[in-house]
Amino acid sequence: MPDHALSPARPGLWRRALALLALVAAAGWAQAAPAPTQAITSALASPSSAEQFPVDAPGTAVSLPDDWDDSRPRYEGRVWYRARFDAADAADGNELLALYVERVCSNLEVRLNGHRIFSGGRMTEPVTRNCLYPQLVTLPAGLLREHGNVLDLQVAGHALQRVSSRQRAAGLSALKIGPQSVLAAEHAWRLFWNVTSVQIVSLALGVLGCVMVALSWIQRREAYLGYFGWLALAWAGMSLRLWLRDMPWNNAVVEFMFCTGFAPVVALAVQYLLSYLDLRSRWIETALAVQWVLVPITLLLAGPGRLFTMASLWYMLLVTELFAVVGLHLYVTWRRKRHEFWPMAVLLASAAVMVLAELAVQHELIALPPVQWLHFALPLLFIAIGARLLQVFARSLQAAAAGRTTLEVRVKEITAEIEQNFAQLAEMRVEQVTEKERKRIAADLHDDLGAKLLTIVHTSESERISTLAREALEEMRLSVRGLTGKPMRLADALADWRAETVSRLGQANIEADWRGPAEEVDQLLPARGFVQTTRILREAVSNIIKHSGASHCKVRCSIGEHEFGLIVQDNGKGIPMELDGKLDRGHGMSSMKHRAKQMQGQCLVESGPGYGTVIRLTLPL
Amino acid sequence: MNNILLLEDLPEIRSWLKVLVKGVFPDSQIHEAARVHDALGLVGAVKFNLALCDLGLPDGSGVDVVAALREQQPECQSVVVTIHDDDDHLFPALQAGAFGYLLKEQARELIAEQLKRMSAGEPPLSPSIARRVISHFASQTQRQERPQNMPHVALTERENEVLLRVAKGYTLPEIGVQLNLSRHTIADYVKQIYRKLNVSSRAEAALEAQRLGLFRRA
Repeated sequence: MPDHALSPARPGLWRRALALLALVAAAGWAQAAPAPTQAITSALASPSSAEQFPVDAPGTAVSLPDDWDDSRPRYEGRVWYRARFDAADAADGNELLALYVERVCSNLEVRLNGHRIFSGGRMTEPVTRNCLYPQLVTLPAGLLREHGNVLDLQVAGHALQRVSSRQRAAGLSALKIGPQSVLAAEHAWRLFWNVTSVQIVSLALGVLGCVMVALSWIQRREAYLGYFGWLALAWAGMSLRLWLRDMPWNNAVVEFMFCTGFAPVVALAVQYLLSYLDLRSRWIETALAVQWVLVPITLLLAGPGRLFTMASLWYMLLVTELFAVVGLHLYVTWRRKRHEFWPMAVLLASAAVMVLAELAVQHELIALPPVQWLHFALPLLFIAIGARLLQVFARSLQAAAAGRTTLEVRVKEITAEIEQNFAQLAEMRVEQVTEKERKRIAADLHDDLGAKLLTIVHTSESERISTLAREALEEMRLSVRGLTGKPMRLADALADWRAETVSRLGQANIEADWRGPAEEVDQLLPARGFVQTTRILREAVSNIIKHSGASHCKVRCSIGEHEFGLIVQDNGKGIPMELDGKLDRGHGMSSMKHRAKQMQGQCLVESGPGYGTVIRLTLPL
Repeated sequence: MNNILLLEDLPEIRSWLKVLVKGVFPDSQIHEAARVHDALGLVGAVKFNLALCDLGLPDGSGVDVVAALREQQPECQSVVVTIHDDDDHLFPALQAGAFGYLLKEQARELIAEQLKRMSAGEPPLSPSIARRVISHFASQTQRQERPQNMPHVALTERENEVLLRVAKGYTLPEIGVQLNLSRHTIADYVKQIYRKLNVSSRAEAALEAQRLGLFRRA
């Protein structure tokens, strides 16, 4: 069971993960749990750039949160808020009190009972951009009264029309006063999700982007890696605003820069999605480049006062482009790479939902979320897509390596095969040349010597010379066959000998009785063996026809494992003895014996006057 | 009345053969040729009953003359007269339509006897030639890609039987005794075998030419 197989390190890991989850949950509960905090949801508001709350000017009562776009549209500058609270309600005894401002955009200063106790940064242009930063202000105990504390907050902000995103439109959330420890936890939780988490993810995204760009540099053919890398880097670059709250430019410049940044981001995203499927088009690339130029030009032409409207229009267009390309990407993936469809579809659909939600926020279809999920989740999705890309890349590398190994093996095989073929070819060539040469010699012999012998055979007056020439011709023919012939099956050789012998004896009116081996034999006989045996047999049959006067001839063939034997027996008058006791040379016995000896065989002749003749030929196979 | 073509390049042998043929067929008119070219000219001009063709000639092979005769004068009997007794030389001539073969150096009486037999429709068949014929037909039946217009030539069972026995070394009279067939019947089988070898070989040659793209419809 896998559960029992877990290593000791595993439970530790799980325990740590569980502890972390508990911590996060606890942070959430800390916010949700009823705490002795006091919420301030209304205040006196007075637009003024003065150092103090303008006591002389009549303030208007506003409820908190106060969104400037609702309460004072198009207002640009600073607003004083005054609220009162009793310290006794908020704390018991010695607890340190704090003021928690969930959202203030762009910046604030706080005065307690007339004393300046906190500043979030610069209050004049360029104003410090604290829109995403929750604020926690410790209230000095020495300045606090039991009852009727006056809290003055000056907020510096920009009209919605002059920013490119609703998140950066001026406003002040409800205020909370309570024990510092309780509010600090809430502050930390919000700071983490709004800022720190986004910073971490953006940092990771930046690193991933660098890796991708480096990869695409090495792997020039995988252009989509480069596009994705630059996309990640661009997004990480745009997230730099979380670090840089104090930039040396005023709001108009910063918002302009931020808004124009979306054109290249979308261009890179489109290029990535298209090039991943090899769908790049010159036309689209040109359009994206033109758009890149058009965005800043239109923003400049519209002027800082209509930045939000123009930006919203552009966002709509960019999102439409993006969705169209995502749709195309998923469609083509479905058609071509079904196995990659689902991971990609889930990732891209999540991203699309987030972008849609953000668009809805910008158009006030959804209220501003307490935590900027998009800022955190979208780069996370980018990282997921990047990880998927790296996985695909790694897999293709693996496949390439495997392919190379297979190829190497195949090349080795083919090389071996070629070498072998070449050797065979060379051998065949030698055989062919030899064969050709033999055939040429054979043809020459026939044409030249053969023709001359033939002429002698048919023109000689003398029968003896004629016969000699005929025999010479037959000898020549056999020699040529020995020269050119391939080994032949012993069975075929026996058939040839039988046909010739029986036919010749038949013509001479001698009864032939030939018996060969009953079963088929598979042994081979070299050409020389065939030729020599043919000569011996021919000579023997000639002797019988010419000299023996026999009426009957028996031939017996036997085939053993390593030899074969021929016995030729006639019932003629036998071979007369010479004076020295040897058999008659005229009968060619010695040449028969000589030929048998040449083939490491033997030829025995038994004969006596009146007993006929027996020739026993034994030859090795 | 009988026209006989005698193709032989050696003058002595040609005149010797002429005497021999004249002896066998006294009424015949003998047309002599020393070259393939001359022989082909004669084939175009004269209708022959018998042709004796040498194989190795100065300007080509007698096989071409045999093939031309088979094409233009199917009634004519072609006999190869040669110094080569090996089937490498004889088999192509038989495929081209030769009806038999004579070895030149044989004695006059023997050649005369064989010539008589052949003209009477009794061609010779040696074991080695029989083996070649067997393997030829074996490769024919193995081949599947046969166009519709090509005749499929197959040997009958009896023809096969005769061939197999010849290949084993039995002489034709022996086979006649073994199969209880007359000398004439055996001779008919052998003639059929030669005829089928020729038809099948020509079909094969046409197929090969077609395969090589050399086939032209006139």
